[in-house]
This record gives sequence, C-alpha cells and structure tokens, in this order.
Amino acid sequence: MRSLRLLWVGAVMQVKMNSRGPFEIATAMIMPIVQATVAVYLLRAAESPHRMVAAAVGAGLMGVWSTVLFGSGGAIQRQRFMGTLEMLMLAPRHPAIKVLPITIATGLTGAYAMIATLGWGWLIYGIRPEFAHPWAFLVAMPACILGLGMFGLLLASTFVLMRNANALCNALEYPIWLLSGMLVPITVLPAWTGPLAAVLPTTWGARAVHEAATGGPVWPAIAWCLGISLVCAGIGALSMTYVERRARAAATLALA
Amino acid sequence: MRLLTVGGLLAYRALFNWATPVMFIGTLLVGPLFQLLFFAYLGRQLGVADDGFYIVGNSVLAASVLCMFGGSMAVLNERRFGTLGHVLLSPRSRTVTWIGRALPYAGNGLLVAAFTLTVGTLLLGLRVPAGGWPGLVLALASAALACAAFGLVLGAFALRFRDAWMINNTAVTLMILFSGTNVPRSVLPGWMQAVGDVTPVTHAAAASRALVGGASLTEVLPRIGAELGIGLGYAVLAGVLLKLFEAESRRRASLDTL
Repeated sequence: MRSLRLLWVGAVMQVKMNSRGPFEIATAMIMPIVQATVAVYLLRAAESPHRMVAAAVGAGLMGVWSTVLFGSGGAIQRQRFMGTLEMLMLAPRHPAIKVLPITIATGLTGAYAMIATLGWGWLIYGIRPEFAHPWAFLVAMPACILGLGMFGLLLASTFVLMRNANALCNALEYPIWLLSGMLVPITVLPAWTGPLAAVLPTTWGARAVHEAATGGPVWPAIAWCLGISLVCAGIGALSMTYVERRARAAATLALA
Repeated sequence: MRLLTVGGLLAYRALFNWATPVMFIGTLLVGPLFQLLFFAYLGRQLGVADDGFYIVGNSVLAASVLCMFGGSMAVLNERRFGTLGHVLLSPRSRTVTWIGRALPYAGNGLLVAAFTLTVGTLLLGLRVPAGGWPGLVLALASAALACAAFGLVLGAFALRFRDAWMINNTAVTLMILFSGTNVPRSVLPGWMQAVGDVTPVTHAAAASRALVGGASLTEVLPRIGAELGIGLGYAVLAGVLLKLFEAESRRRASLDTL
C-alpha cells in the first residue's frame, strides 16, 4: 500500500513538473500535431481519407513514445542536474520504486500528445474520432501508457551508465516509430524486422490502441504489452539496484 | 579572415555539444538515416512518391538538424558557459564573429547530408546520374549554408528567451512539413507553400530532385541561387536580431541569465 501511495504521489508530482516545462510541452503537443499534419497531407495525396483516424492515432502514439523516450532516458540526468539525485537515492525505498513514478509520469504526459492530435484532427481537418471499440480504447490507452512507463524504467536504468544518453534517445526515436507500426504498418517492413518488433512493448501497445480505434482483437495486444512491460520493469529494477550500488561505491552518483 | 576561420573552428570545438563520436553518430548520422527510412516506408505504403523522393528530401533535411542546432549552440552555449559577456566585450566585428561561428556547422552539415544520401542510395537503391553529383554537392552546400544562417536566427532568440531548445525542436519539425521534403508541395495549401518558399532546404531539395531526375546543373542554378538568397536573408536577419537582443539584454541586465 505504501509503495502504491509512493507511485501515485510521485507520478502526480512529476506530471505537474512536466506539464510546466516548455520542452516537455513542445515534445508532447507541438511535434505530434506537426507529424499528424504531415500524415494528413500524405493520406490526402494518396487519396486514402478512410485512414485518417488511424493516422491521427498513430501520430499521437508517436508523441507518447517521444515523451517517454526523452523523459525516461533523461530522468536520472535531470535529477543529477537539479541536484536531487542523491536525496532521491537516500530515501529508504527500493531504487526502482523511486524512479518508476518518474517514468510513468512521462507516459502520462505523453497522453497530451494523443489528446492534442485527436483534437487537432477533429477541429482543423474534420476527422471525427469515431472508434470501432470506444470503451476498449479507453482501456488500451492507459495500458499502453503504463506499459511504456515500465519500459521507461529499463531505459532509465540503462542510460544511467551512459554519459551521452541523449545520443541514444535521438537515435531511438524513429526506429521505434517504424518497428512498432505506429504510423507505418509493420507489414511493409522487411521480414527480418518482425522478431525485433515482437519483443517491443511499444509494438503491442500501438497495436492495442490501433485495433481499438479501427477494429480488431484489442485484449490480446493489451495483455502482450503489459506482459512484456512487466518483464522490462523487472530487468530495469535489477539493473537500477546494481547501478545504484555501483555508483555509490565509486562515489559517482552525482557526477555526470 | 583569421577571426572568421580560426575563431569559428575554436568556437565549434568548444561549443558544439554533439561533437563527441557517440553524440555525432547517434544524433547526426543514425537519427537522420532512420528518419529517411521511416518516410520512405510510409511513402511506399501510401504510394505517394517513390523512394528517390524521400532519399533526396531527407538527405537535404539531414543537414538542417546539425546546422540549425549548431547555429543556436554557437550563441546559447556562450551564455550557458558564462563566456557570452567576454565575446561581446571583444572589440571585433560582431558580424564576422557570428558568421565564423556558422561556417563550420555548414561544412559539417554538408558531410552529414552526403552521408545520408550515400547510405540511403545504397540501402534503398537509387540511381543518381554520374553528371548529377557536382550539382548535388552544390545544392547540399547551399542548403547547409542557408540552415546555418537560420540557426543563427534561432540562436539570436536564445539571447531573449530561456528555452531555446523548444524553439529549435519546433522549427526542425515544422521544416519537415513546410519544406516539401516529405510531403509533395503540390498537396499543401497555398499558405504552407508560401511559408515553404522562404524556408531553408525547400529550393535545395527541389534542385536535388531535379538533378537526380536528370536535369543539368544550369537548369537548377536558379533554384540553388534562391536557396543561397534565402540563406543570405537569414544571415542579415540574424545580424539584426543579435544586435537588437544584445542591446535589450544589456538594458535589462539579463545577458547571462539562464
């Protein structure tokens, strides 16, 4: 119960911080809207207006991933920069429980992207958000966000050892968009990318949201997304414990 | 001349955050390459344009990220490292100083664009006429120069606004839409085409596509000239804004305020 409270309070606190940062707002809101606009004009050029809802949802998912990637990837670095990492690690709780609210909050902040792209599509281009399974969509979206938040813990623990985590963040944005089928269906990619895509929680999260929007079996995809994300969170927790001890032993916790 | 070249190179080494091998490869080589692949596969799926459209468009666009962020870092990082005051106290021409800052990024941007074009061509199979390469280099160089000048404009805003990265990220993303590198300009509304006309990269991308399509250098020279003209316009604007915001920062005593 205390852990749940910590997760809740920590995530709410972090969402409040993220929602006031211009960089986070731009990542979560402005860029997905531009990507959605690009998708709308490409679909118009392709004369495929029936896929507009899928494009708006896909652009929103891209925004969620960008927010999680940059938010979680930079979570530890940001704590270091603000001088709060040592205090955070001194708190008498498991390191993973202390970092998980930060990474879940990045996913929640990313939900802005979905709302923004759907709202933009409706207001400017008249794309009504009419989903095949509206109730399933309301479950699939939080499941996807939770899954990405847990995946973010793995990212945060991995990136803590790297001085240039930003480089990996910048390099990972488009590959995950591509491999997870957020806007481009996986079927058009070379066959060898299939196994890579299948082990990514982003693929199943995106599939769940897309199927809720356009029709298809939503629940298996949600289960796969949460299952793989739990494995990622487990590995992330182990990694975070190891990294924290190593950083304390080497007295490098506060060093970038 | 020494201030322009040596000063520019020293500033590049000191202020460019992405000069380390990991950052350079991750952000400037791998990132644009996957951007190219993303749009190429999207284009294949929608059947809007062939691979060549996206290979050339994204190669030209690849130069823009480095040049625009670099141009901003040239100004912004001086303030971050606490050296902006020293630079502004120097009794040398500001214009030469700032132009010198932008040139290494333009050269670097040309390399990144050439890398993206070469690897994209090899991966997706694009035939570029042998006679088209000199023109392509010229077009890519013009795009890199225009983007570096535009980066200085964004850098000038860094003197006035706290969160310059947000401005940069937004500008780079909007360029994908307006420049016609990934969306055929013919399907964009008139006002977006008008914005694209004065956006760096637009004319260089059009010239590059024409060259890959078999046009001669003389046929695309007006396009390259337009790109260079836009770059010159942004360089002048950057000079004016830097002077204006410098005076404003001195008046408000906010020169070093982060």
